Amino acid sequence: MMKSLGSIRRSFAPWADPASKPFISVKNVTKKFGDFTAVDDLSLNIYTREFFALLGASGCGKSTLLRMLAGFEQPTSGEIILDGQNLAGIPPYRRPVNMMFQSYALFPHMTVENNIAFGLKQDGMPKPEIAERVAQMLKLVKLEKFAQRRPHQLSGGQRQRVALARSIAKRPKVLLLDEPLGALDKKLREETQFELMDLQQELGLTFVIVTHDQEEAMTMADRIAVMSHGKVVQVATPAEIYEAPNSRFVADFIGDVNLFDGTVIGVEGGSLRIETTSGIQLRMASPEKPASGAKAAVAIRPEKIRISRQPPDHAPVNTAEGEIWDIGYLGDMTVFHVRLKDGKVVKASSLNAVRAVEDPLGYDQQIWISFGEDAGVVLKD
Amino acid sequence: MSKLIVATLAAAMLAGSAMLASAQERVVNVYNWSDYIDDSLLEDFTKETGIKVVYDVFDSNEILETKLLAGGSGYDVVVPTASFLQRQIAAGVFQKLDKSKLPNLSNMWDVIMERTAKYDPGNEYAVDYMWGTTGIGYNVDKMKEILGTDAKPGWDVIFNPEIAAKFKDCGIHLLDSATDIMPSALAYLGLDPDSHKQADLEKAADLLMKVRPYIRKFHSSEYINALANGDICLAVGFSGDIFQARDRAAEAKAGVTVDYSIPAQGAQMWFDMLAMPADAPHAAEAHEFINYMMKPEVIAKASNYVFYANGNKASQQFLDKEVIEDTAIYPSDEVMQKLFTTTPFEAKEQRVLTRLWTKIVTGQ
Amino acid sequence: MAKLASALVSRLVIIVPYAWLLFFFLIPFFIVFRISLSQTAVAMPPYTPVFDLAGGLAGILEKAREFSVDNYVWLTDDALYFNAYVSSLVIAAISTLLTLLIGFPIAYGMAKAPRSIRPTLLMLVILPFWTSFLIRVYAWIAILKPEGLLNQFLTTIGIIDQPLIILNTNSAIYIGIVYSYLPFMVLPIYSALEKMDNSLIEAAQDLGCTPTSAFWRVTFPLSLPGVVAGCLLVFIPAVGEFVIPDLLGGSETLMIGKTLWSEFNANRDWPVSSAVAIILLMILVIPIVYFQNVQAKADSEGK
Repeated sequence: MMKSLGSIRRSFAPWADPASKPFISVKNVTKKFGDFTAVDDLSLNIYTREFFALLGASGCGKSTLLRMLAGFEQPTSGEIILDGQNLAGIPPYRRPVNMMFQSYALFPHMTVENNIAFGLKQDGMPKPEIAERVAQMLKLVKLEKFAQRRPHQLSGGQRQRVALARSIAKRPKVLLLDEPLGALDKKLREETQFELMDLQQELGLTFVIVTHDQEEAMTMADRIAVMSHGKVVQVATPAEIYEAPNSRFVADFIGDVNLFDGTVIGVEGGSLRIETTSGIQLRMASPEKPASGAKAAVAIRPEKIRISRQPPDHAPVNTAEGEIWDIGYLGDMTVFHVRLKDGKVVKASSLNAVRAVEDPLGYDQQIWISFGEDAGVVLKD
Repeated sequence: MSKLIVATLAAAMLAGSAMLASAQERVVNVYNWSDYIDDSLLEDFTKETGIKVVYDVFDSNEILETKLLAGGSGYDVVVPTASFLQRQIAAGVFQKLDKSKLPNLSNMWDVIMERTAKYDPGNEYAVDYMWGTTGIGYNVDKMKEILGTDAKPGWDVIFNPEIAAKFKDCGIHLLDSATDIMPSALAYLGLDPDSHKQADLEKAADLLMKVRPYIRKFHSSEYINALANGDICLAVGFSGDIFQARDRAAEAKAGVTVDYSIPAQGAQMWFDMLAMPADAPHAAEAHEFINYMMKPEVIAKASNYVFYANGNKASQQFLDKEVIEDTAIYPSDEVMQKLFTTTPFEAKEQRVLTRLWTKIVTGQ
Repeated sequence: MAKLASALVSRLVIIVPYAWLLFFFLIPFFIVFRISLSQTAVAMPPYTPVFDLAGGLAGILEKAREFSVDNYVWLTDDALYFNAYVSSLVIAAISTLLTLLIGFPIAYGMAKAPRSIRPTLLMLVILPFWTSFLIRVYAWIAILKPEGLLNQFLTTIGIIDQPLIILNTNSAIYIGIVYSYLPFMVLPIYSALEKMDNSLIEAAQDLGCTPTSAFWRVTFPLSLPGVVAGCLLVFIPAVGEFVIPDLLGGSETLMIGKTLWSEFNANRDWPVSSAVAIILLMILVIPIVYFQNVQAKADSEGK
C-alpha cells in the first residue's frame, strides 16, 4: 500500500489491520442469468460497523450482489459468509440482514406505524415492546406525527424515512440499502446523506449501500468498491479512489480527469519520465518503475492543473502551451477548457478564492498549463 | 333466453325488411313457428298472387304473446296456439276475419272447428293451421326392457307412482306447464280434465307430488334432444316435438328409437291457429294468405312436410299415406272421442295455479 | 370561441355517462316500477292503468290513483318468493366462493408468469368468450349427463361403476356458473396482482415472512379490491341467472330468474313479474353500493 493520501475521516480502518476479521466475506461469487454473467468471480470483505458502498454504472452487478446478500438471489458459484455463517441456502426471512428498497416497497395497505411494526410482529415480539420500538423508530426518523398516515399520504422524503425506519426496526446486523436516495431531489439527498451517516454511527450497524452516484458514495462510505461488468475494479477509501485510482476506468469514473497517454522513457530518482504521444515531457512520482518503452497513462485531476500567462520555471517538463477554449463559471470555482497545440482539450479548475479578479483570463488567450510531480497518477493500462 | 334472442333478431330483421318493401309492392308479414312450413308453399303463393311473403319464426307462445301484447308488432298473420289465442282475443289483440274474403273456409273440418270454437266462439278470429295432442314420447327399447311389453304406454307410466318409479333412473321429463300437465293428471284420475275446481286441482297436484321424486326435470323443450339422444325414457310433450325427437333419433342412427303414444285415458288437443293482429298493416294480403293456406292441396302439402294433422277435411285426400294412416297423427275415431280441450284460467285463478305448479316443480 | 367549444365538449363528456344512465337505466327502471304498481288485465298492454297523454295532467293524476302495492303484498303472501330469493342468493354465494377458490390461483399464476407469456395467458382466459355462451352451457350437458363424457371417462378408468347423477342437480349449476363466470373473477384479480410491485413481497420476506405469510399479510390484502370486484361481477349476475339453472339445473332448483320468467311468460303477469324484478334489483343494489365504496377507497389509496 502506498502512503495514505488525503485525510481519512475517522480513525476507523479495520481493513488495514491484518488481525481483524471481516464481518461479511464474499468469496469468488459468480451469478449468471442464463448466458449473462451479472457477477463474475467476485471477492470482497466488509467489516463490522463499516459503511460500505458498491458503486458502478447500471448493469455492473452491484444490485445483484446486494440481492445475493439479502437472499433474493442465490450465487451460481462461490460463497458468502456473514458473521461466520455460510449463507448458502438460507432464505431471506432467516438472514440477520434487512434491506431498504430503492422503491421503498412500503406496504400501501398499512399505516406508517404498521409498516414499521411489520417485521417485529412477524417475529412475534410482545405488543408493548413493539409499541416501544416503533415509537423509538418514529422518533429516530422524526415522523412521530405521521404514525397513522398511509404511505400515499407522505412526501417522498417522508416515505424514504419510513422505509429506513422499517428496515432498521429489527436491529439487523447488516443493513442493505439499494439506491436509498435515488428518488429524492438533490438538496434533500444531500441532507439525508448526512442523516444516514449519523444514524449509522449512532446505531453502530454495518451498512452496505448500492449507488450509481459517486458523490453520494464518496460522501458517505468508509470504503467504496467500484464495480464494472460484474467485477470489483478497486476497493478503497474515497480519498484513495479519487487520488490514486488503480485504473483508467476508476480514474475516469470518479470525478473529472485528464488522461495523457505516453511512453516511459526513463527513471529519475523516485519519478518516472514519460513522453506523451503529442510530445509533452512529464515527470511523475510513481512507486512503480516500469521499464523504458512501456506504455503508460497519466491521470491528472483538473484542480491540480495550474494556468499561467508565462511558462513556469520547470518548463518544459510538466507543462504545455495552449489557449483558453471554454470557460465554465460555477460560482465556487471556474473550469477552463484549454486547447493544447495538438488539439487535445484539457480541463483545469481553479477556486474563486477572491470575489473579483483584475484582468481575468479570457477566451482565446494564450496560456501555459503546468502541474507538479505529485499532481497525477501513473496508470499502467 | 335463446328464444328471446332469436325473437329479438327476428323482430329486428322484420323491421328492416318491412321498411325495404316499397309502397306499390304487395307484402304480407307472417310470423310462424320455426320448422313449420314447406318453404316452396311461400314461393307458390307469391307466384300465384304477386304478394311477397316476409316470413319470420318464433319458437314459443310466450315470445309471440309478449310481442302481441306490447302492440305494434307489424305482423299480418301470426300462429298462436288456441289456449293462448283465447286470452289474446280477450285482450283485443286480434281483428275478426272477413269471412267473405275466405271462400276456402268451406274446406275446413267440422270436428276441429267445433273444438276450436271453444277458444274462439264462432271461429270469428282464427282458422286452424295444424293440430296435435299432448301425449307420451318414449324410448321403445327401454320401455320393453322395463315393462316387458310392446304395447303403447298409457298415463299410468307417468302417474302411477309404482310404475313411474321404475323409470326414475332412466329418466322422465314433463312439460313445465301447468295447463298442459294438470288436465292429463285430471284425466288419469277420471276427473273432468277441464275442471277449474280448487279441490280437483289439489287432487291432481297431490298425484303429481307422489310421482315428483321420479321426475328428472320439468322443461318445455329440452325433452326433444333428451329423448333423441337416449338420455331419458319418457317425456310428456307435444306430439309434434316428439315426432321431431323420433326423426332426430332415426337420423342419428345411434340405436335409439323414439315413438309417440296418445294415452288411452284421453289426451289434450292443441291447435295452432292462423290469426290477424288488430293492427295488421296489410289486412287484404293477410286474408289472401289465410285463404291460400286453406286450399286442400296446399295445406296437404304442408302436413306432408311437417307430419302434423291439419284442420282441413278436403285436404285429407291429398295427404301421404304415412301421414293419414299414422294413428299418432290422425287418431282413430274412437281415440278422437277421448281427446279433450280445456278452457283457460282467469288471471287470478292462473296465479294460484302457477303457485301450485311451482311447488310441484320445485318439490316444496 | 375555441374556449367555449372546448368547455362545451368537456361538459358533453360529463353528460354522456349520465345520459346513458338515464336512458338505459333510470327510464327503464321507472317503466318497470310503474308496471309493478299496476294491476294485471286482459288487454293490450296486459295491465292497468295505462296513461294517455290526451287526458292531460288531471287525467294522469286520476289514473295514478289506481296504483297499488298489491303485487308486493302478493309476493309476501307466500314463502315461495322469499324462498326463491334466498335460494338464489345462496346459490350465487356458493358459486361465487367456488369461483374465487378456483379463480384466485389462476390469476395468481398468471401474474407470476413471465411477462412475455402473460398476454397469451390472458388470451386463453378470454378465449372461451369467442364461443356462444349458450353453446358452452349446452356442452356441459353433454359432459355431465349420466351417459356423458365425464361418466364414461370415470367408468372407463374404473373410479365409479354407477354413473354419477350431476346433470339437473345444484352441482351442475355450480359447475356451469363457475365455468361461465370464471374470467370475470380472474381478470380483476389478475389486474390487481399484476400491478403489485414485486419488491413488496421481497420486503415482506426480508422482514421475516415466509412465502406463505408474505402472501397472507401482503399479497392477499393488496389483491382485495380485485377480489371484491371479481366476487361482485360473479355474484350479481349469478343471483338473477336464468339460462344456467334452466339448462343444467334440476326442476327443484328454485331461482328467482326462473320465477320471474314464469310470472312473465306463463302467467303473462307483467305487474307481478315487475315487482319481482324491482325487489331483485333492490337486493342487488346493496352489494353494488358496497362495491362502489370499496372501489372509491381503493382509488384514493392508489394515488
